[in-house]
Amino acid sequence: MHIQDGVLSPAVCAVTGAISLGAVAYSVHQLKQSVGDRTIPLTGMMAALVFAGQMVNFPIGAPVSGHLLGGVLAAAVVGPWAGCVAMTLVLFVQWALFSDGGLLSLGANVLHMAVLGSWGGHAVRMLVQRFVGDSHKGIVIGSVVAAWTSVMAAAALFCLEFRLSVPPGEIDFSKVFTLMVSFHSLIGLGEALITGAAISFVLNHRPELICRMGTLARPDHGNEEQTGKSAHPPIAFTRTLGAGLVIALAIAAFLSPFASEYADGLEAVLGKLGGEFHLTASVPGLFADYDKVPVPIAAWEKIAVSIAGIGGTLSVFTLAWLLSKALPIAPTKLSEAAGE
Amino acid sequence: MCHRWPPLAKLFAAVTMILAATCVPITHGPLVGIVACVIFFAHTLARIPLAYVARRMLFFWPPLFLMAISLPLSQAGQAGWLLFVTILVRGTLSFSTALWLVNVMPFDQLLATLRRLRVPDVLLAILSLMYRFLFVLWDELDRMRTARSARLFRKPSLWETWRSATHLVGRLLIRALDRADRIHGAMLARGWDGRSRWIDPRQEDRP
Repeated sequence: MHIQDGVLSPAVCAVTGAISLGAVAYSVHQLKQSVGDRTIPLTGMMAALVFAGQMVNFPIGAPVSGHLLGGVLAAAVVGPWAGCVAMTLVLFVQWALFSDGGLLSLGANVLHMAVLGSWGGHAVRMLVQRFVGDSHKGIVIGSVVAAWTSVMAAAALFCLEFRLSVPPGEIDFSKVFTLMVSFHSLIGLGEALITGAAISFVLNHRPELICRMGTLARPDHGNEEQTGKSAHPPIAFTRTLGAGLVIALAIAAFLSPFASEYADGLEAVLGKLGGEFHLTASVPGLFADYDKVPVPIAAWEKIAVSIAGIGGTLSVFTLAWLLSKALPIAPTKLSEAAGE
Repeated sequence: MCHRWPPLAKLFAAVTMILAATCVPITHGPLVGIVACVIFFAHTLARIPLAYVARRMLFFWPPLFLMAISLPLSQAGQAGWLLFVTILVRGTLSFSTALWLVNVMPFDQLLATLRRLRVPDVLLAILSLMYRFLFVLWDELDRMRTARSARLFRKPSLWETWRSATHLVGRLLIRALDRADRIHGAMLARGWDGRSRWIDPRQEDRP
């Protein structure tokens, strides 16, 4: 999931770095404003927790195993601002301690996992919760959907960044993007499963730890009773906008193979127009690309991506529904009985 | 001897080397060679054992290789080989530079340097606390894993592994947040007022 140095071009790294810097600065600003002195140990602990949680292996096949990414989980516990800061620090420490990821591509990684994961994930979760309800079921479904959409949005963004990093014409991007998107839909599935199950576990045992609707940060001691009381806060315009953006990006992930092909076709057409100045020549030019590739294979590839997309979406929703059904709604107050 | 350089110089050197490694076009063989030599020279100056670097590379290469090989594979081996080599070489060079920085720059020195570069105090306070808790939580996770394997008398199925792994994450989260509460209480008891105070490591070093 980490982008290493050398994959993206320095210019793309600079732009993504600037965007991430702004987003993180805004998060820090919000963090300073909204909460008291408890934020600092809490956010530090959350960052350490995400880091440690990523060490827990989820086996898939014999050599392959997945792990938690944590953006949505962090936002669910400490709110989007602190969650974004925590994820940023996780990514920074992973570079500074283990040289995992990269320095120049830190901006891109922060954008994908911290900003999209925490801000976007939180926005999507709140949007889903508005429709499903601010209950156990709503929170689990919301976080499953949010986890999956945020990973797919990151994939779409990566495709765009990668496209801008590589000089055009060197390779056929649509095939690369097909590969990327199918790969990320698997990662997203894993992330959705893990996040949903972990949040459901916490909701069963300590429901007060998960941020409810209308809260952007964990409350300080003393006013914990206030959380969850405001069942229907007014829809925040920016949050809806953010959720819409993330969902649009996720959808764009599945369209990216088509989009890049369309762009290639467009370039070809423009080239023809520029060179020969007649429109009649450009009409066959539009189909020139397809002559090289046998049509059934090209069509099959598109169908495969679409099926992967629709199937992935359906399976995530089924998963969310099953998770909310399978796990007991009534919390077993074991932890409290144990005096933890 | 790189260890004794001023921290800012070390950071600057690393950033320059990474920039050079990612900007040099791969087709200019001699230039890439020069960058590689400089990085190698830095490693020998810092006396980082080659076996250690090789061991880290072993863990670093597979993901990078997978990412890079997907390019020519998706083109049916017809194109993208230059891109494949570019990503591999640039990735390796910048990874070894980062490895060098990790080895010559202790984390608290990095924190102090970041502070001199005017990174906000809140961020640094969170960062230093995170660094402190990280190892505590790793130990906690280790104990929970030991407990889990002590209670298992057979090879668990995939479903059971996933279930117990999610419980592990969830339980770790609950314990971590409880610990954060206790730590906050302890900090309050020691006069924490939301501001962080730093000891300048340069003054600390002075006899």
